[in-house]
Amino acid sequence: MKRSVLALSLAVLVVVTAMSLLLATRHPITNATQTQSPLLGHRAPSMKGPELGGGSFSLAAQRGQVVVVNFWASWCGPCRVEAPELSTFAWHERTRGVELVGVVFNDSLSAAASFAKHYGSLYPSLVDQGGVFANRFGVTSPPTTFVIDRHGRVAATLIGPTSARQLEAVVARVRS
Amino acid sequence: MTLTWLGRAALYLCALGALGGVVDQARALRRRRPGHARRFAVVALVGIVLAIAVMQYALITHNFSLAYVAENNATFTPLLYSITGMWSALEGSLLLWVLLQSALIAAVAWYYRRQRDDAVVQWASLVLFGVQAFFTLLMVGPADPFLRNAARVVQGAGPNALLQDNPLVAAHPPLLYAGFVGFSVPFAFAVAMLITGRVHEHWPLEQRRWSVLAWGALSVGVVLGAWWSYEVLGWGGFWGWDPVENAALLPWLTATAYVHSVIVQDRRGLFRVWNLSLAVATFALTVLGTFFTRSGVLVSVHAFSSSTLGPLLIGFFFFVVVLGVGLLAWRGDRLRAPVGVDHPLSREGLFVANNIIFVGFAIVVLLGTVFPLLYQAINGSQVTVGTPYFASIAAPLAVVLLALMAIAPLVSWRSADPKVLWGRLRTSAWVALAAVVVLLLAHVTRYPELVAVFLSVMAAGAALRTLRGVLVSARRRGSWRGALRAPSTGGMVVHLGIVVLALGIVTSTTYAKRHEVTLASGQTTVVDGQRVGFYGFAHVRSALLSATELKVRVDGHSLRPAVTTYHGRNGQTVGTPAIDSTLLRDVYVTFDAVGGTGLASGAQIQSQLPVGSVVLGVTVEPLLAWLWIGGLMVGAGAALSFVRRRHVEEAP
Repeated sequence: MKRSVLALSLAVLVVVTAMSLLLATRHPITNATQTQSPLLGHRAPSMKGPELGGGSFSLAAQRGQVVVVNFWASWCGPCRVEAPELSTFAWHERTRGVELVGVVFNDSLSAAASFAKHYGSLYPSLVDQGGVFANRFGVTSPPTTFVIDRHGRVAATLIGPTSARQLEAVVARVRS
Repeated sequence: MTLTWLGRAALYLCALGALGGVVDQARALRRRRPGHARRFAVVALVGIVLAIAVMQYALITHNFSLAYVAENNATFTPLLYSITGMWSALEGSLLLWVLLQSALIAAVAWYYRRQRDDAVVQWASLVLFGVQAFFTLLMVGPADPFLRNAARVVQGAGPNALLQDNPLVAAHPPLLYAGFVGFSVPFAFAVAMLITGRVHEHWPLEQRRWSVLAWGALSVGVVLGAWWSYEVLGWGGFWGWDPVENAALLPWLTATAYVHSVIVQDRRGLFRVWNLSLAVATFALTVLGTFFTRSGVLVSVHAFSSSTLGPLLIGFFFFVVVLGVGLLAWRGDRLRAPVGVDHPLSREGLFVANNIIFVGFAIVVLLGTVFPLLYQAINGSQVTVGTPYFASIAAPLAVVLLALMAIAPLVSWRSADPKVLWGRLRTSAWVALAAVVVLLLAHVTRYPELVAVFLSVMAAGAALRTLRGVLVSARRRGSWRGALRAPSTGGMVVHLGIVVLALGIVTSTTYAKRHEVTLASGQTTVVDGQRVGFYGFAHVRSALLSATELKVRVDGHSLRPAVTTYHGRNGQTVGTPAIDSTLLRDVYVTFDAVGGTGLASGAQIQSQLPVGSVVLGVTVEPLLAWLWIGGLMVGAGAALSFVRRRHVEEAP
């Protein structure tokens, strides 16, 4: 009875510490929704052009791999949420025949480059002059993500910020 | 470009004020001289007001050079929703949060201006400036509301559809934030009292005043949130035990326990350490609630507010708990009251019961909210804890609380004589019994309703009896203003509001009936005694939205349930319910589906139904309007409790 506040406080501290640890290590549930797009099941539109920060990319050259195409912009809030998730995903899947490529959507090159640098993006991003690729894929708002299977067909369309976990699940389904 | 720098400069000024306040109070404490809390509070307040002016200017003029404006505003967004757009997303709502916190700190600094050399006030100011600095630095760092938008945006995305179709968006979030922010004052003073060891002075009762202010704002905020979701979401309910709803309920529960148990400390000097613990717990739960809302780790209807701030917020929560509980562990045993409760059947004894129930309820809700995460961490699979869990515990606890409300206000302090108590309870008990008999004769036989009515009538009786006592003594003194400020007036008005609210909740949920009716144009039908007719479609197009409305009449009143598509990228298609509300019943009508090819309305299409017919969801809920009336009574009672006089023993 004499030291009961001390004992109780310490017990509460232990419980709260455990709870804080649990909560701090949870990942956000993202709300990317898989939608029915007219592209599903069809050959992905062609995409070839310069990358942000040099180099070039061609979708046709990736045949045989699963390709994840992510349209993003530096001014888009949800893109900030998913950028670290995309890098996580690209890093996990780098040796498993999966290629992640970003496409800059309606953004200035300097803003996009500093965004990619800020988030230390571990994947290349294509420059989309005049929004040609966005038009071909029918993208109206970032972030929108397409998963393209080994035969070059669009297998999934995700609208909204996605997560590494969600992408891994979608890619596993596409691969099988 | 300029807006970005102007806004950021204003935020730096605010951060400077907050950090300067921390340093100044710390130095004042070390050198035992008065601090300059008011000066730093004003600097921070000016900073945040300027920042908000910049943000509001950008929102109202649709200036898309700020990324936040491009994301949450569009050229066609009306003025009201442009202004409320400031709290449509995380970065902007932090501005509102810090504004309220800064105003509160300025008020505290002004209120205690003559005690600024007192160590309790100095420690409390230090803590408050620290809290203010944390939230301001969130905006200086990871959640910058003034981020520049480099791209040329022509139209803007517009706010989330659900945040631009009801004016309650202007009231619910600010009140809720005011409640959350308000609990930082009792927390700060609890820390100050623990550090200085001065728990036995007048501070706790003064803290009750600040707490009641926050409690009232939070209560009304929660009720308005329920009202909003009832008006907007289209399922006819008002509370879904969503994690974010629980986030607001948790601090409300501990705060309710606190405003009760502080009275015992005032009158009997008991519960000193317990009250400090409740103040700490309440503030910690507001931070935890903010984490639940902003981290996105839980599935919630409030998903639009998720962000990357999770780790920072949970870190802050952990810091708050370690500070508070650590101080309690260090000081608690020495600061305890020397005596305990004399007799279980006494006012203070029943206050103990009240506290056990409120705190127990909070623990149960917290457990239910966190459980899915715990389960996932251990088992790796998803599980949801839904309404059945929460409701099965909330219902019996609510019954006990109503019973306590019926008895406790009439019980004497120290020890009560059962005979005297029965004398005070007798009248209301007979009236309550008579009410139950009348209901039974009217074929109202569901027992939750009967129990609720019996206890509510008794609880109202207890409150009215106390209020009558106040009026009688006010008449004797000839001062009606004295009656308004009497110690028990505000509390008893709150009790009456809760009784009204409880009756509204129990009756509307026990007797709610949901029907789906299919009607062709010109057809009428009778649903649950209400004549419902459908008289064709109306199409509405404006810059903001396009909607397909149904011309519906319920008992002669015209209603327009609709399916509305908001323009802009964040816009989406949402059902817009229409409600015919009277004091006796609400009829809640939704546009559920349309037959045939659908007329491109955005509503769900049922092709097996004939073209031009519609499916209406019709829910009849008796006495539902009393929920909102009860909520307003609670707010009024809290306001009266704020201006309350201290209890003084009457001269013999």
